[in-house]
Amino acid sequence: MNAAGTLRRARASLPGLLVLAALAAGLATLAVVAVSGHPPPSQAQQVQQIAAGLHCPICKDLSVADSPAPLAQQMRQEIAQKLRAGESPAQIRAGFVAAYGDSVLMSPPRQGVTGAVYYLPVLVLAAGLITAFLLLRRWLRTPQADPPGAGAPQLSASQRRAVARAVARLHEEEPG
Amino acid sequence: MTSRRARLLAGVVAAVAAIVALLMTGLGRDPSVFASPLVGRAAPNFTLRQLDGPPVTLARLRGQVVVINFWASWCTECQVEQPALDQTWQQFQDSGVVVLGVDFQDTIGAASSYVRTDGVTYPVVEDAGSKTALAYGLRGVPETFVVNRSGRIVKHVIGPVGATALASEINSMLGTRDQ
Repeated sequence: MNAAGTLRRARASLPGLLVLAALAAGLATLAVVAVSGHPPPSQAQQVQQIAAGLHCPICKDLSVADSPAPLAQQMRQEIAQKLRAGESPAQIRAGFVAAYGDSVLMSPPRQGVTGAVYYLPVLVLAAGLITAFLLLRRWLRTPQADPPGAGAPQLSASQRRAVARAVARLHEEEPG
Repeated sequence: MTSRRARLLAGVVAAVAAIVALLMTGLGRDPSVFASPLVGRAAPNFTLRQLDGPPVTLARLRGQVVVINFWASWCTECQVEQPALDQTWQQFQDSGVVVLGVDFQDTIGAASSYVRTDGVTYPVVEDAGSKTALAYGLRGVPETFVVNRSGRIVKHVIGPVGATALASEINSMLGTRDQ
Protein backbone atom coordinates (compact mmCIF):
# COMPACT_ATOMS: atom_id res chain seq x y z
CA MET A 1 0.00 0.00 0.00
CA ASN A 2 1.51 3.33 -0.99
CA ALA A 3 1.11 6.72 0.69
CA ALA A 4 -1.08 8.14 -2.06
CA GLY A 5 -3.60 5.34 -1.63
CA THR A 6 -3.74 5.84 2.12
CA LEU A 7 -4.32 9.57 1.67
CA ARG A 8 -7.13 8.90 -0.82
CA ARG A 9 -8.88 6.51 1.58
CA ALA A 10 -8.51 9.01 4.42
CA ARG A 11 -10.02 11.78 2.27
CA ALA A 12 -12.88 9.51 1.28
CA SER A 13 -13.79 8.69 4.88
CA LEU A 14 -13.45 12.31 6.10
CA PRO A 15 -17.15 13.30 5.70
CA GLY A 16 -18.25 10.24 7.65
CA LEU A 17 -15.82 11.05 10.42
CA LEU A 18 -17.06 14.64 10.57
CA VAL A 19 -20.68 13.46 10.87
CA LEU A 20 -19.71 11.07 13.67
CA ALA A 21 -17.83 13.84 15.50
CA ALA A 22 -20.82 16.18 15.20
CA LEU A 23 -23.15 13.49 16.56
CA ALA A 24 -20.81 12.78 19.46
CA ALA A 25 -20.59 16.48 20.28
CA GLY A 26 -24.40 16.78 20.19
CA LEU A 27 -24.90 13.79 22.46
CA ALA A 28 -22.28 15.08 24.88
CA THR A 29 -24.06 18.46 25.03
CA LEU A 30 -27.41 16.77 25.67
CA ALA A 31 -25.86 14.64 28.42
CA VAL A 32 -24.36 17.71 30.12
CA VAL A 33 -27.71 19.59 29.98
CA ALA A 34 -29.60 16.56 31.28
CA VAL A 35 -27.23 16.07 34.18
CA SER A 36 -26.92 19.70 35.21
CA GLY A 37 -30.55 20.78 34.49
CA HIS A 38 -31.64 24.25 35.48
CA PRO A 39 -29.71 25.92 38.25
CA PRO A 40 -31.68 25.79 41.53
CA PRO A 41 -33.60 29.00 42.27
CA SER A 42 -32.07 31.31 44.84
CA GLN A 43 -33.87 31.77 48.15
CA ALA A 44 -35.09 35.21 47.07
CA GLN A 45 -36.58 33.64 43.94
CA GLN A 46 -38.24 30.93 46.03
CA VAL A 47 -39.72 33.55 48.36
CA GLN A 48 -41.00 35.43 45.32
CA GLN A 49 -42.52 32.27 43.83
CA ILE A 50 -44.31 31.28 47.06
CA ALA A 51 -45.45 34.85 47.78
CA ALA A 52 -46.84 35.16 44.24
CA GLY A 53 -49.14 32.22 44.94
CA LEU A 54 -50.53 33.72 48.16
CA HIS A 55 -53.27 36.31 48.39
CA CYS A 56 -52.46 39.33 50.57
CA PRO A 57 -55.07 38.92 53.37
CA ILE A 58 -55.72 42.64 53.81
CA CYS A 59 -55.63 43.62 50.12
CA LYS A 60 -58.40 43.59 47.55
CA ASP A 61 -56.66 41.77 44.76
CA LEU A 62 -52.92 41.64 45.30
CA SER A 63 -50.56 38.79 45.93
CA VAL A 64 -48.20 38.78 48.88
CA ALA A 65 -45.39 39.28 46.36
CA ASP A 66 -46.95 42.44 44.91
CA SER A 67 -48.44 44.07 48.01
CA PRO A 68 -46.58 46.85 49.79
CA ALA A 69 -48.71 46.33 52.96
CA PRO A 70 -46.75 45.71 56.18
CA LEU A 71 -48.57 42.40 56.74
CA ALA A 72 -47.52 41.20 53.26
CA GLN A 73 -43.93 42.23 54.01
CA GLN A 74 -44.08 40.22 57.23
CA MET A 75 -45.48 37.27 55.32
CA ARG A 76 -42.53 37.45 52.91
CA GLN A 77 -40.13 37.54 55.89
CA GLU A 78 -41.96 34.57 57.40
CA ILE A 79 -41.60 32.65 54.12
CA ALA A 80 -37.86 33.39 54.02
CA GLN A 81 -37.41 32.29 57.64
CA LYS A 82 -39.30 29.06 57.03
CA LEU A 83 -37.24 28.32 53.92
CA ARG A 84 -34.05 28.85 55.94
CA ALA A 85 -35.49 26.51 58.59
CA GLY A 86 -35.78 23.82 55.91
CA GLU A 87 -39.52 23.86 55.20
CA SER A 88 -40.59 23.05 51.65
CA PRO A 89 -42.74 25.49 49.62
CA ALA A 90 -45.69 23.09 49.98
CA GLN A 91 -45.30 23.03 53.78
CA ILE A 92 -45.13 26.82 53.89
CA ARG A 93 -48.27 27.17 51.76
CA ALA A 94 -50.03 24.59 53.95
CA GLY A 95 -49.11 26.63 57.04
CA PHE A 96 -50.75 29.76 55.63
CA VAL A 97 -53.81 27.78 54.51
CA ALA A 98 -54.15 26.35 58.04
CA ALA A 99 -54.30 29.88 59.46
CA TYR A 100 -56.21 31.71 56.72
CA GLY A 101 -58.09 29.03 54.84
CA ASP A 102 -58.09 28.36 51.10
CA SER A 103 -58.87 32.01 50.41
CA VAL A 104 -55.20 32.84 51.02
CA LEU A 105 -54.29 30.98 47.83
CA MET A 106 -54.33 32.96 44.60
CA SER A 107 -55.70 29.82 42.89
CA PRO A 108 -57.99 28.04 45.38
CA PRO A 109 -58.24 24.25 44.98
CA ARG A 110 -61.08 23.05 42.76
CA GLN A 111 -63.04 21.28 45.49
CA GLY A 112 -66.47 21.73 47.06
CA VAL A 113 -68.38 24.87 46.09
CA THR A 114 -65.26 26.32 44.47
CA GLY A 115 -65.06 23.22 42.32
CA ALA A 116 -68.71 23.65 41.33
CA VAL A 117 -67.94 27.18 40.18
CA TYR A 118 -65.24 25.78 37.91
CA TYR A 119 -67.05 22.71 36.62
CA LEU A 120 -70.76 23.61 36.61
CA PRO A 121 -70.63 25.95 33.59
CA VAL A 122 -68.77 23.25 31.63
CA LEU A 123 -71.34 20.62 32.65
CA VAL A 124 -74.27 22.89 31.76
CA LEU A 125 -72.69 23.70 28.38
CA ALA A 126 -72.07 20.00 27.69
CA ALA A 127 -75.66 19.12 28.67
CA GLY A 128 -76.97 21.90 26.41
CA LEU A 129 -74.87 20.75 23.48
CA ILE A 130 -75.96 17.13 23.92
CA THR A 131 -79.62 18.17 24.16
CA ALA A 132 -79.31 20.37 21.09
CA PHE A 133 -77.63 17.55 19.17
CA LEU A 134 -80.32 15.04 20.12
CA LEU A 135 -83.15 17.41 19.23
CA LEU A 136 -81.54 18.35 15.93
CA ARG A 137 -81.04 14.68 15.03
CA ARG A 138 -84.67 13.88 15.83
CA TRP A 139 -85.95 16.78 13.76
CA LEU A 140 -83.80 15.80 10.79
CA ARG A 141 -84.88 12.15 10.91
CA THR A 142 -88.60 12.71 11.42
CA PRO A 143 -90.48 13.29 8.11
CA GLN A 144 -92.54 16.42 8.07
CA ALA A 145 -95.82 14.55 8.16
CA ASP A 146 -98.96 15.95 9.62
CA PRO A 147 -99.41 15.01 13.20
CA PRO A 148 -101.97 12.36 14.01
CA GLY A 149 -105.47 13.76 13.88
CA ALA A 150 -104.48 16.45 11.43
CA GLY A 151 -106.21 16.75 8.05
CA ALA A 152 -109.95 16.51 7.57
CA PRO A 153 -111.71 16.94 10.88
CA GLN A 154 -113.90 14.10 12.01
CA LEU A 155 -117.47 15.38 11.88
CA SER A 156 -120.56 13.83 13.29
CA ALA A 157 -123.54 13.06 11.05
CA SER A 158 -125.46 16.13 12.23
CA GLN A 159 -122.43 18.33 11.61
CA ARG A 160 -122.04 16.89 8.11
CA ARG A 161 -125.70 17.63 7.42
CA ALA A 162 -125.26 21.19 8.71
CA VAL A 163 -122.24 21.69 6.44
CA ALA A 164 -124.15 20.28 3.45
CA ARG A 165 -127.03 22.66 4.14
CA ALA A 166 -124.65 25.61 4.41
CA VAL A 167 -122.95 24.67 1.12
CA ALA A 168 -126.33 24.28 -0.62
CA ARG A 169 -127.38 27.69 0.68
CA LEU A 170 -124.22 29.21 -0.65
CA HIS A 171 -124.84 27.71 -4.07
CA GLU A 172 -128.39 29.07 -4.11
CA GLU A 173 -127.19 32.55 -3.14
CA GLU A 174 -124.51 32.60 -5.83
CA PRO A 175 -125.51 34.80 -8.71
CA GLY A 176 -125.94 33.14 -12.08
CA MET B 1 -99.35 17.29 29.60
CA THR B 2 -97.59 14.05 28.69
CA SER B 3 -95.45 12.26 31.25
CA ARG B 4 -92.40 12.90 29.08
CA ARG B 5 -93.00 16.64 29.10
CA ALA B 6 -93.62 16.51 32.84
CA ARG B 7 -90.30 14.74 33.36
CA LEU B 8 -88.52 17.30 31.18
CA LEU B 9 -90.10 20.16 33.10
CA ALA B 10 -89.18 18.55 36.42
CA GLY B 11 -85.58 18.17 35.23
CA VAL B 12 -85.37 21.83 34.18
CA VAL B 13 -86.88 22.98 37.48
CA ALA B 14 -84.44 20.77 39.43
CA ALA B 15 -81.47 22.14 37.48
CA VAL B 16 -82.56 25.75 38.02
CA ALA B 17 -83.16 25.05 41.72
CA ALA B 18 -79.68 23.54 42.05
CA ILE B 19 -78.06 26.58 40.43
CA VAL B 20 -80.10 28.98 42.60
CA ALA B 21 -79.13 27.02 45.73
CA LEU B 22 -75.49 27.17 44.72
CA LEU B 23 -75.71 30.92 44.21
CA MET B 24 -77.57 31.37 47.49
CA THR B 25 -74.71 29.78 49.43
CA GLY B 26 -72.43 32.51 48.15
CA LEU B 27 -74.90 35.39 48.14
CA GLY B 28 -76.04 34.70 51.67
CA ARG B 29 -72.75 35.69 53.25
CA ASP B 30 -70.61 38.79 53.37
CA PRO B 31 -67.57 38.09 51.16
CA SER B 32 -65.43 40.44 53.24
CA VAL B 33 -65.95 38.34 56.39
CA PHE B 34 -63.86 35.21 56.43
CA ALA B 35 -64.62 32.38 58.83
CA SER B 36 -61.41 31.36 60.56
CA PRO B 37 -60.40 27.77 59.84
CA LEU B 38 -58.87 27.74 63.32
CA VAL B 39 -62.22 27.60 65.12
CA GLY B 40 -62.52 24.15 66.66
CA ARG B 41 -58.78 23.56 66.41
CA ALA B 42 -55.95 23.89 68.91
CA ALA B 43 -54.92 27.49 69.38
CA PRO B 44 -51.40 28.09 67.98
CA ASN B 45 -49.00 28.39 70.88
CA PHE B 46 -46.87 31.47 71.43
CA THR B 47 -44.53 33.03 73.93
CA LEU B 48 -44.66 36.80 73.77
CA ARG B 49 -43.02 39.55 75.73
CA GLN B 50 -45.36 41.41 78.03
CA LEU B 51 -45.27 45.20 77.90
CA ASP B 52 -45.08 45.35 81.65
CA GLY B 53 -44.27 41.97 83.10
CA PRO B 54 -42.85 38.51 82.37
CA PRO B 55 -43.34 36.77 78.99
CA VAL B 56 -46.65 34.99 78.47
CA THR B 57 -46.81 31.46 77.04
CA LEU B 58 -50.26 30.38 75.90
CA ALA B 59 -49.63 26.69 76.65
CA ARG B 60 -49.07 27.58 80.31
CA LEU B 61 -52.59 29.01 80.49
CA ARG B 62 -54.11 25.59 79.69
CA GLY B 63 -57.02 24.93 82.04
CA GLN B 64 -58.19 28.53 81.84
CA VAL B 65 -60.42 30.29 79.34
CA VAL B 66 -58.26 32.73 77.38
CA VAL B 67 -59.60 35.72 75.47
CA ILE B 68 -56.91 36.71 72.96
CA ASN B 69 -57.54 40.18 71.60
CA PHE B 70 -55.38 41.49 68.75
CA TRP B 71 -55.30 45.27 68.89
CA ALA B 72 -53.13 48.33 68.18
CA SER B 73 -52.86 51.78 69.71
CA TRP B 74 -53.59 53.36 66.29
CA CYS B 75 -56.82 51.38 65.87
CA THR B 76 -59.96 53.36 66.68
CA GLU B 77 -62.26 50.32 66.81
CA CYS B 78 -59.89 48.82 69.40
CA GLN B 79 -60.46 51.88 71.56
CA VAL B 80 -64.20 51.30 71.25
CA GLU B 81 -64.01 47.71 72.52
CA GLN B 82 -61.35 48.22 75.19
CA PRO B 83 -63.84 49.04 78.02
CA ALA B 84 -65.69 45.78 77.25
CA LEU B 85 -62.46 43.81 77.51
CA ASP B 86 -61.58 45.54 80.77
CA GLN B 87 -65.03 44.79 82.13
CA THR B 88 -64.66 41.13 81.14
CA TRP B 89 -61.25 40.93 82.81
CA GLN B 90 -62.55 42.53 86.01
CA GLN B 91 -65.60 40.27 86.04
CA PHE B 92 -63.93 36.93 85.31
CA GLN B 93 -60.26 37.09 86.32
CA ASP B 94 -61.02 35.22 89.56
CA SER B 95 -63.01 32.57 87.70
CA GLY B 96 -60.18 31.11 85.66
CA VAL B 97 -60.41 33.50 82.72
CA VAL B 98 -57.50 35.43 81.20
CA VAL B 99 -57.92 38.39 78.89
CA LEU B 100 -54.77 38.94 76.87
CA GLY B 101 -54.13 41.86 74.57
CA VAL B 102 -51.73 41.16 71.68
CA ASP B 103 -50.29 44.37 70.27
CA PHE B 104 -50.17 44.22 66.46
CA GLN B 105 -47.97 46.31 64.13
CA ASP B 106 -47.33 48.95 66.72
CA THR B 107 -44.46 50.55 68.59
CA ILE B 108 -43.82 49.61 72.19
CA GLY B 109 -43.82 53.29 73.13
CA ALA B 110 -47.23 53.97 71.61
CA ALA B 111 -48.70 50.77 73.03
CA SER B 112 -47.32 51.39 76.53
CA SER B 113 -48.56 54.96 76.46
CA TYR B 114 -52.04 53.80 75.41
CA VAL B 115 -52.14 51.14 78.13
CA ARG B 116 -51.18 53.71 80.79
CA THR B 117 -53.42 56.55 79.72
CA ASP B 118 -56.50 54.52 78.83
CA GLY B 119 -56.29 52.33 81.91
CA VAL B 120 -55.93 48.91 80.29
CA THR B 121 -55.89 46.54 83.26
CA TYR B 122 -55.44 43.16 81.54
CA PRO B 123 -52.02 41.89 80.44
CA VAL B 124 -50.76 43.06 77.05
CA VAL B 125 -48.03 41.37 75.02
CA GLU B 126 -46.04 42.52 72.00
CA ASP B 127 -46.16 40.51 68.74
CA ALA B 128 -42.84 41.48 67.19
CA GLY B 129 -42.73 40.59 63.49
CA SER B 130 -46.45 39.66 63.58
CA LYS B 131 -45.54 35.97 63.80
CA THR B 132 -48.42 35.23 66.14
CA ALA B 133 -50.82 37.33 64.06
CA LEU B 134 -49.89 35.30 60.98
CA ALA B 135 -50.29 32.03 62.90
CA TYR B 136 -53.82 33.15 63.84
CA GLY B 137 -54.67 34.20 60.29
CA LEU B 138 -55.16 37.82 61.27
CA ARG B 139 -56.55 40.16 58.62
CA GLY B 140 -56.71 43.31 60.71
CA VAL B 141 -57.51 44.66 64.15
CA PRO B 142 -59.44 44.24 66.28
CA GLU B 143 -59.89 40.48 66.11
CA THR B 144 -60.62 38.31 69.14
CA PHE B 145 -60.22 34.58 69.68
CA VAL B 146 -61.75 32.78 72.65
CA VAL B 147 -59.80 29.68 73.71
CA ASN B 148 -61.43 27.10 75.96
CA ARG B 149 -59.82 25.32 78.89
CA SER B 150 -58.63 22.53 76.60
CA GLY B 151 -56.72 24.98 74.44
CA ARG B 152 -59.15 24.95 71.51
CA ILE B 153 -60.40 28.05 69.75
CA VAL B 154 -64.16 28.17 70.17
CA LYS B 155 -64.96 31.68 68.99
CA HIS B 156 -63.53 34.18 66.54
CA VAL B 157 -64.81 37.73 66.41
CA ILE B 158 -63.85 40.21 63.70
CA GLY B 159 -64.37 43.78 64.86
CA PRO B 160 -65.15 45.13 68.31
CA VAL B 161 -66.45 42.69 70.92
CA GLY B 162 -69.28 43.50 73.29
CA ALA B 163 -69.10 42.85 77.03
CA THR B 164 -72.51 41.15 77.17
CA ALA B 165 -71.82 38.75 74.29
CA LEU B 166 -68.38 37.95 75.67
CA ALA B 167 -69.75 37.34 79.18
CA SER B 168 -72.44 35.06 77.76
CA GLU B 169 -69.84 33.06 75.83
CA ILE B 170 -67.55 32.77 78.84
CA ASN B 171 -70.38 31.80 81.19
CA SER B 172 -71.46 29.03 78.85
CA MET B 173 -67.87 27.76 78.71
CA LEU B 174 -67.38 27.91 82.45
CA GLY B 175 -70.62 26.04 82.95
CA THR B 176 -69.78 23.20 80.59
CA ARG B 177 -67.04 20.66 80.26
CA ASP B 178 -64.73 21.29 77.34
CA GLN B 179 -64.48 18.73 74.61
